[in-house]
Amino acid sequence: MSGNISVERTEQETTINIKGRFNFEMHSQFRTAYQEDTSKGKKGRKFVIDLSGTEYIDSSALGMLLLLREEAGTNESDIEIVNAKPEIKKILETANFQRLFKIS
Amino acid sequence: MAYGMKILIVDDDRINSTILNRLLARDGHSVVIASDGVAGVEVFHREQPDLVLMDIRMPRMNGYEAAREIKRLAANRFVPIIFLTAVTDEDSLVQCIDAGGDDFLTKPFNRTILQAKIDAMERIRQLHGELRRQKETVERHQGQLQQEMEIGQHLFAKIVSAGNLLDAPCLKRWTSPMSVFNGDLLVAAYNPAGGLHIMLGDFTGHGLSAAVGAMPLAEIFYEMTAQGFSLSELVEAMNAKLIAVMPTRMFCAACLIEVDYRQQSLMVWNGGLPDVLVIDKTGRVVRRLASNRLPLGVVALTREDRKMEILEMKSEHRVFLYSDGLIEAPDSEGEMFGMDRLMSHFGGDVQPDKIFDVILHSLMAFRGGTEQCDDISLLEIDCSRAGEEPPGGMPRRSEKSLPPAPWEMSFAFHAGTLKNVDPLPTVINAVMSIQAPTGHRERLYTILAELLSNALDHGLLGLDTEMKKTPTGFIEYYNQREARLNAMESGFIKLTLVHEPVVNEADGRRIGGAMRIHLQDSGPGFDHTRVQSYLEGNAGHGGRGIALIRSLCSELVYHGAGNQAEVVYQWTYQ
Repeated sequence: MSGNISVERTEQETTINIKGRFNFEMHSQFRTAYQEDTSKGKKGRKFVIDLSGTEYIDSSALGMLLLLREEAGTNESDIEIVNAKPEIKKILETANFQRLFKIS
Repeated sequence: MAYGMKILIVDDDRINSTILNRLLARDGHSVVIASDGVAGVEVFHREQPDLVLMDIRMPRMNGYEAAREIKRLAANRFVPIIFLTAVTDEDSLVQCIDAGGDDFLTKPFNRTILQAKIDAMERIRQLHGELRRQKETVERHQGQLQQEMEIGQHLFAKIVSAGNLLDAPCLKRWTSPMSVFNGDLLVAAYNPAGGLHIMLGDFTGHGLSAAVGAMPLAEIFYEMTAQGFSLSELVEAMNAKLIAVMPTRMFCAACLIEVDYRQQSLMVWNGGLPDVLVIDKTGRVVRRLASNRLPLGVVALTREDRKMEILEMKSEHRVFLYSDGLIEAPDSEGEMFGMDRLMSHFGGDVQPDKIFDVILHSLMAFRGGTEQCDDISLLEIDCSRAGEEPPGGMPRRSEKSLPPAPWEMSFAFHAGTLKNVDPLPTVINAVMSIQAPTGHRERLYTILAELLSNALDHGLLGLDTEMKKTPTGFIEYYNQREARLNAMESGFIKLTLVHEPVVNEADGRRIGGAMRIHLQDSGPGFDHTRVQSYLEGNAGHGGRGIALIRSLCSELVYHGAGNQAEVVYQWTYQ
C-alpha cells in the first residue's frame, strides 16, 4: 500500500502534500505533481513538500526529492520540506539532506 | 457469424451427418466426416479441425471415449467438442461434460441454434488462442530474464566477491538480501601496509538496479585499496563514479572504515548510514558515529566532505555497522524493529562477544514470519583480533616480474601538492610499473610509508612525536596535523630511488636488485635519535616504525640535520 499526493498552486508556490507511505510506488504520482512547473526549463518556482501526513519514507523517495531538485535547477532550486514527523526528519538528516533542502 | 472453420463430424448415422454437412457448408465451413469413434480420432489427427461435432453411441469407440482421446491429442490447443444427442437427461449431459465436451446439441438439428453454438465456441476458441499466445510471450520473456539474471549473478559474484576479505578474523557479518541480488554492498580488503578497509553501501532500491551500481564501486574499492590509496581517496573516486554513471534518483548511503592495527587507529566515514556504534568491554556504547556526510553519488565532494573521523583503537573495542534495513525491519503489525530495540542490547546486560548473536536473535523473534522488504546487513569488528592474519595468510598481488635493470627516478612534492595528495600510492605504483619485484610491494610500501610520514609529520609540520602516547593526545595529534597541513604554505619533500641489479660474480647472472632510497625534506631537521627511540618504543602502540625499516633494509642512515634519510632495500630475483 502506498500513499496519495495532492497539489496546491499559488502564484509563486507549489505545495505538494504527501499522505501515507512515500515510497517507490509513488514515483509517477510525485513526478506528475511537479512536472508542469519544471517542464520547458521553467525555473525559479518555490516548492513546498508537506510531509505532515507522511507515515514512512524510503530511499527511493529520497531519490525522487533529488530528481525534483535537479529538474527545478539544482543549486538554484528553492525547495522546502515541512512538517516531517520526527522519525522521518531523522531519515532526512541521516542522509544529510539539510544540505540540499530547507527542512523545517 | 463465424466463417470458414474446418469442422469434423463424427457420426455413424449417414443421414445426420449429411444434414449437418449441408447446413455447415452453406455457412462457409469446410467439413470432414468420420463414421465412428476410431475413425474420428484418426481424422482429427490428420486434419486438425477447429471444432468437432460428436455423436455419442457409435460402433468400435463411443463418443465419450473419442472425445477424451481428441482432447488429449489437442493438448494445448483448444478444440471445442459439441456432443450431438437425442436425449436430454441430466446424467447423459454430465457424462458429456466429464468426457471433455464443451456443449451439446439436441436432435433434430435447428439451424439457428447450431450457428449460435458454433459462433459461441469460436469466440471462446479465439480467446483461448489469444491467451495461449500471451502465455507463450510471458514464458519467453521469463526465460530470457532468468538467463540474464544468471549472467548478472555470475558477474556480480565475480566482481563483488573477488578478493573479498570478509573472512578476516576480526570480522563477523550477517547479510540477508531480499532478492537474488543484494542492494547492500559489503566488502573488505587489506591495503599494502596491512590496514583493513571495510565498506558497507546501501543503494537506493533493491535487486538488479542496485546491484548494477555496486559493481563499479566494488572494483574501485579493491583496486585503490590494493594500490595503497587512503579512504578519503576511495570516497572521492567512488562518489565521482556514481555521479557520472547513476541516474539522479539513485545514490548509495555508505560507511567506510579503516582498521589500522599498526597505528592502533580506526578511521570512519559515514555518509547516510545509521549510527556506527563502538562499544567497550562492558558492552556499552562509548562512541556513536552519526552520518555527517551526504550519501555517495549525490553532489561533488568538498575537502571537508572527504575528511575521516579518527578514533584511537583499543583491543577491547567492538564496532557495529549495519544498514537501515535492520532498524526498519517490520513485524506482522507493520511496526519497525527500531533504534531503541537495537540500543537495548547495548545496555551492559549482554556480554560484548554475545551482542552480535543477541541482536540477530532479537530481530528474528521480532520479525516472525513477516516478509522481508529491504536488504539487511550487520557487521561487527572485533578490535582484539585486528592483528590476526586471515586464513591462508595475507593476500599478495601478483605482479609481472621483470629482470633487474638499472634505473633511477626522482620526485619532488611541494606544499601545494602535499596538501591535497598522498604521495605514497603515486610513488609505489611508479616503482611497481618499472621493476615490480614480486611479493615486495607490501615491504616497499611499508618502508616508503614510514619515511614519507616522518618527513611530512615531523620534518615539515613539526609535530611532536610524544603527543600520540596518550588517548587525548592521539586525537589532538591528528587534529593538529590537519590544521598545520591546511596552513602549510611552503616546503617540499624530495625522493630519489636508484636501482642497480645485483650480479652473481661467478657467472654474471643478475640475481636481484638493490634500491637506494633517498629522502630529503625542507624542514629544519629533527633529532632523529629521539624519533628513532619514539618509533622503536612505539611497538606497544602497534607500530614498529624504524625498527621495522631496519629489519627490512640493509642500511639506514640520516644525513644533514636529520632532514635526509637514506635506506637500501635488497631483493632477489626468482
